[in-house]
Amino acid sequence: MAMQTQDHAAPAAPGHEAGAAGAHEGSAPAAEHAEGGLPQFDFAQWPGQIAWFLIVFFGLMLFVRFFAAPKVGGTIEAREGKISGDIADARRMKEEADAEAAAAQAEAAQARAAAQKVAAEARAKAQAEIAARLADEESKLAAAGAEAEARIAKARESAMANVSGIASDTAQAIVAKLTGKAPTAAELASAKG
Amino acid sequence: MAEAPKIDPMHQFLIHKIWDGPVFQVGGVTFDMSITNSVGAMFVGAAAMILFFVLTARGQVVPNRGQAAAEGIYNIVDRVLVTPIIGHHGRPYIPYLFTLFCVIFVLNLMGVILSVGSLAGQTWTFTVTSQLAITATLAVLTFFSIFILGFIKHGPKFLTLFWVPGMGVAGGAAMVVIEMISYFVRPVTLAMRLFGNMLGGHVVLSLFGSFVVALGLAALSGGLSSLLFVPSALSFAMIVGLTGLELIVALLQAFVFTALATVYLNEVVNFGHGH
Repeated sequence: MAMQTQDHAAPAAPGHEAGAAGAHEGSAPAAEHAEGGLPQFDFAQWPGQIAWFLIVFFGLMLFVRFFAAPKVGGTIEAREGKISGDIADARRMKEEADAEAAAAQAEAAQARAAAQKVAAEARAKAQAEIAARLADEESKLAAAGAEAEARIAKARESAMANVSGIASDTAQAIVAKLTGKAPTAAELASAKG
Repeated sequence: MAEAPKIDPMHQFLIHKIWDGPVFQVGGVTFDMSITNSVGAMFVGAAAMILFFVLTARGQVVPNRGQAAAEGIYNIVDRVLVTPIIGHHGRPYIPYLFTLFCVIFVLNLMGVILSVGSLAGQTWTFTVTSQLAITATLAVLTFFSIFILGFIKHGPKFLTLFWVPGMGVAGGAAMVVIEMISYFVRPVTLAMRLFGNMLGGHVVLSLFGSFVVALGLAALSGGLSSLLFVPSALSFAMIVGLTGLELIVALLQAFVFTALATVYLNEVVNFGHGH
């Protein structure tokens, strides 16, 4: 406030004395206040102040309209666009990756199924082969068995035939020993009966 | 011992010339285009505003502090006011409302932040928005721009704004009068609200400043009056607190003015939708 009164006492600014505003400058403020009212109601100051203010205001409006608002607003919009774009990109990529993963899984499942099929086929084939060979061997064995049985039967027959020969030989020897004379074949045959 | 200066809180609102300018008359009105302290403060405010937006206009996706501040101010107008109140049809009016907000804010702020007082025989601090001429200009400009826009967009049908339906003919006619008064008082309230807030705050600040000096000087005379240092210091503390309050008021009044302008504009842009 001290400095402001200085301003009153000694109008230092060059325009002070020259201006019509001098009426309420320097020595006048007390008188002016006594007139009652705020300095704001000194209507002589209004037109110039309003005119300058309108010039400044419209100048700033042009500045805002053609520079500040598009620049700041544009940046905000660009950022939001970039963020939503990036999110969309990420979402799209995730979807692609998911689809690929699903495809890979399906492929793996298919491969597994194919492998299982091949394995099952191989197993079935092997089993069929085993069964066939088994049957073959069994039939061979059966044939060999039958042959062997036939041979045994024949051997037994021949053996049985030999037995009667042996019996007659033995009987002839016994009779010869007992009687001292060998019986004839006809006697032996009739005795064997 | 120094004499305490006269307590004169209105002195800060006095307009004085710095440089003489052309004086001319238009229709009996004298336009003194001299550069006064008021006009000088407007220039400084405009320069500060332009400088701020030029320096912060980096256009980066990740903003630094300055850019974030500029975007914050822009979003007050866009995301807090225009988009919620008017919607997307309000976008063309953002530059005007943004200018309105920034101009009021910067001019309010200058009265608080640039409180350098008087230096070199010149009072430098000047709160342009404490001039009724300025707040009235802003209010009238804003109000009538919106009113005229209503006629441009809707024609004579816009006058049905004053008609309250469901009141009958007589009641409706009475309401037209009331509605018109409440409508056309808007520029007055807009102007007086801003003017009164800035005037009051600065008068109080100036008064407490005077107390600091007057009481301090009285205390210097020694003796028992030394105790006057206490109220002097308290007055100084008040100034500190009130300066903080004035910073809030500076932002709040800019916001209130812009918010009301947005609400008035909404009536025009969304005329016939929200009634």
